[in-house]
Amino acid sequence: MSQKPLLSQLIEALCCLPGVGPKSARRMAFHVLERDRSGGRHLAEVLAEAVEKIGHCGRCRTLSESGICRQCANPNRDDAQLCVVETPAEMLAIEQAIDYRGRYFVLGGRLSPLDGIGPKEIGLDLLEQRLAEGTVQEIILATNPTVEGEATAHYIGEMAKARGIRATRIAHGVPLGGELEYVDGGTLSHAFTGRQEL
Amino acid sequence: MAAPDHPGPHPAFVLHRRAYSNTSLLLECLTAANGRFPVIARGVRARSPGGAGLLQPFVPLLIGWSGRGEVKTLTSFEINGAAIDLEGRALYCGFYVNEVLMRLLERHDPHEALFGLYRETLAGLAADNEIERILRRFERLLLTELGYGLLLERDAESGAHIDPDRRYHYELERGPLPVRAASADTVKGSTLLALAQDRRLDGEERKEARRLMRRVLAHYLGDRPLKSRELFGSACG
Repeated sequence: MSQKPLLSQLIEALCCLPGVGPKSARRMAFHVLERDRSGGRHLAEVLAEAVEKIGHCGRCRTLSESGICRQCANPNRDDAQLCVVETPAEMLAIEQAIDYRGRYFVLGGRLSPLDGIGPKEIGLDLLEQRLAEGTVQEIILATNPTVEGEATAHYIGEMAKARGIRATRIAHGVPLGGELEYVDGGTLSHAFTGRQEL
Repeated sequence: MAAPDHPGPHPAFVLHRRAYSNTSLLLECLTAANGRFPVIARGVRARSPGGAGLLQPFVPLLIGWSGRGEVKTLTSFEINGAAIDLEGRALYCGFYVNEVLMRLLERHDPHEALFGLYRETLAGLAADNEIERILRRFERLLLTELGYGLLLERDAESGAHIDPDRRYHYELERGPLPVRAASADTVKGSTLLALAQDRRLDGEERKEARRLMRRVLAHYLGDRPLKSRELFGSACG
């Protein structure tokens, strides 16, 4: 059997990226081959190295080049607070947006039995060990406000409660600059029950 | 387009959803008239207000769809009454109910009664603390609706009424048979009757009923265990 031409192999390979269909893949392939070969070479090298070297942090499960990630290794961060998020991208979003000085734990998903994702698949055994160490005093549940995210938060909240650790859930409600009229009923009802003293 | 349309609105629930391409969702819907079937909701993840947030499990919806293939296309959706607020254990039970439906119910197989049962079960889980009774009722009526109904009030051999004080062995696809010695997988007559009459279950009956339903469901579910049971840990067996 003869191999496919390299050009079509390249186009097909590019289609593995999110948001890239055959048409954009073709544009990318032609751009690299006709106008920017050095850029393409650089991309290939960095990509190969990244795929090879980036693994998961042994403590918080985020993506990391070294065995322990920067946030976990930083001695100036507060061990008493642990923020639980679903993905490394969400950890980055929190890190950039707010001045949070505690530690993180990245689940890499959420409890979703219908997709075959149970407590073990999202590393809750590792989290259990982390809680057993006894340094964590507050666990901040920053999973998404979807039903699966809520189930995950509740499950971890119960784990924390069993050890006498305070569990808090991030607030959800009307977005900043939003208009009540256009907010859906579920969000509005959450916002209403979670109202605060002025 | 010549495709048959179902502009609706049809009452529906989302049983399961997952991301599909960049901005779409692939939903598994449950409706009264068309049973369970997959629907693609195009572009909803990019539309923030009133978009993907509504297309979640346990939200009563009114939907319309079109298309003639296996997978339909969602043409309209809106919320149908207040969302059912499941929390904690009730939420785990909701997942369990959805998983059982996904596994036992064939696609495009309409069961009108089942839709009502599903809605009652969710409302029951949200309101009540007798979670086990609600789940047992759901399991029993689901099996009946699918044609695997259980014989609970009569002896499978003699056809005699079940004696609440005797112990029975439930033979799958047959029914209860009286036994002399009480062993682990036998059930008390009163448990069978409680299940049949949707009565409140006391401690021992609750355990027996759970074990019995579990064994019956396992028979129809096949080898793959239900994942949502893992959420209950050891507390719920």
